[in-house]
Amino acid sequence: MQPEAVELVALALAALVLVLAFAPVGASRRALLAKGGAGVAGTAAVVAAPAFDIALLVMLALALLHAAIEGRRSFAARLRLPALAVGGLVAATGRLVAGPPGWAILPAGSTPRLVLCIAGGLVALWVGLGVTSGDGASLRFGVISTIGFGAARVLSSHDQSVVLSALALISLAVGAAVGLAAPGSGVVPYVAAAVIAAGSAWIPIKAPSAA
Amino acid sequence: MQPEAVELVALALAALVLVLAFAPVGASRRALLAKGGAGVAGTAAVVAAPAFDIALLVMLALALLHAAIEGRRSFAARLRLPVLAVALLALAAVFARVEGPDVLHRFAAVGFAAGLAAALGLLPYIHTFEPEEQVTSSPVAWLGFVGPAVATVVVADAQGLLTADAGAVFSAVLLGLGLLNMAWGSIATWLTENDAAAWRYSFIADWGLVLSGFGITLADGQRASLIVLFAIVLGRLPLYITSRNAVRDKVKTERPINLLVAAALAGSAPFAGFSARVLLLRGATQLYWPLALVLAAGMLLWLPGSLRLGRSLGVPRGRQAVAVAIVLAISVAVGLYPLPLLTVARM
Repeated sequence: MQPEAVELVALALAALVLVLAFAPVGASRRALLAKGGAGVAGTAAVVAAPAFDIALLVMLALALLHAAIEGRRSFAARLRLPALAVGGLVAATGRLVAGPPGWAILPAGSTPRLVLCIAGGLVALWVGLGVTSGDGASLRFGVISTIGFGAARVLSSHDQSVVLSALALISLAVGAAVGLAAPGSGVVPYVAAAVIAAGSAWIPIKAPSAA
Repeated sequence: MQPEAVELVALALAALVLVLAFAPVGASRRALLAKGGAGVAGTAAVVAAPAFDIALLVMLALALLHAAIEGRRSFAARLRLPVLAVALLALAAVFARVEGPDVLHRFAAVGFAAGLAAALGLLPYIHTFEPEEQVTSSPVAWLGFVGPAVATVVVADAQGLLTADAGAVFSAVLLGLGLLNMAWGSIATWLTENDAAAWRYSFIADWGLVLSGFGITLADGQRASLIVLFAIVLGRLPLYITSRNAVRDKVKTERPINLLVAAALAGSAPFAGFSARVLLLRGATQLYWPLALVLAAGMLLWLPGSLRLGRSLGVPRGRQAVAVAIVLAISVAVGLYPLPLLTVARM
């Protein structure tokens, strides 16, 4: 367990006690205790999880419980982003444990790609904020840049791990893009995108048979 | 759900049953059933998806599963272009939906057409091909089995998302891609060295006709596309699978059955391809008559390639002969009376 994480759980518990002791008039202390207690317990479970995969599962359970609490936003609206986040984290974990060994972030020869990334990001920013209009500019920028970079990476490499990373990114971006088309849509596309992104990192791959 | 897409899923299922019943000697029916069944289920899921984004996600999952099947090509080689296709289609959908200048919607139209070509493995995004690879893991699975229903869904959704102006651009790009694939596919079928590769190019040539039909926005164009798609799923695909052993053994024969198969593949009367070509030429004449001339010239290119493919079938015997007879009989039936096929698709 990370000592700083344990300390932060203790601080969250202290905040809960403080809020319970000085709760505003009309607030239900029992409900606050139940929900806050569940939140602290869930956070402690994430911190105490012996492996990253288990921590992700606990996070997913926590997101589900949180989405199930009565509130102004619908269950689906509260579950969308946690679903994408868990899918992305599972995919990232899969990519971390597979692929070529060694440190592969910005290896030698990455400068042209880095420059292109910055230029591509600026173009996506210009399209998302300047060329297009309406609500959700940040989402437009995120979706356009992620899909664009994913497609560029697929075209520029024949490496299995690169293609799988691009697939996971594009899957998550397609899921997020549903928010542009139908902001009030259900949670299904987000969960589907998360499952595909997560599944892509763990799917068994057979080596090509001999010619 | 698009009725023509549902019909194409049913046709894919019929093709699977046909192939399972008359599978070549040595083929594992269980493996064929599992892979083909998964393909049909995935295609049905694309068709049944309530929104375009969900259809894209299903396509991505289908591409992932297809790439994971054991095959001669590497996993990355099989996954790259379908992933690119989904990326292009998703970007096109974003551009079509956002508020912005008209040029953005035209980019969307180009993106939809390019994404469709990449998903199917058509020019300019031809998938890598290994002649000895099994059909289930080869690009032919996209061209002849999954692709027809997926393309129908993509075209219908794209037309629903695009404005009238951008829709016209989409049709023009489809027409251009159609003519390019017709010419390239039919000439390559004729001149390429390997017979298996020639069969693959013949699928691409047929897809040229389909894209041209989609591009001709009149009813005749849509009808022609559906009949060509039928001819791909329940004609060219089963014949290609039947020819695999003869192609591998490099057997070439010139019996009457080979000429009949060549005629069916070339779209001669009274086979299904003929009625599709007549409808396509009629639609092109109504739209812009010089286009009909170009299409007619392109259709002549089918002849030498089809004769070559007919010879490469060898002499089918036993179950294989029954399968070829069934395919030819169905093709003649649809060629003479295509109305039921079109009525089910509400065309």
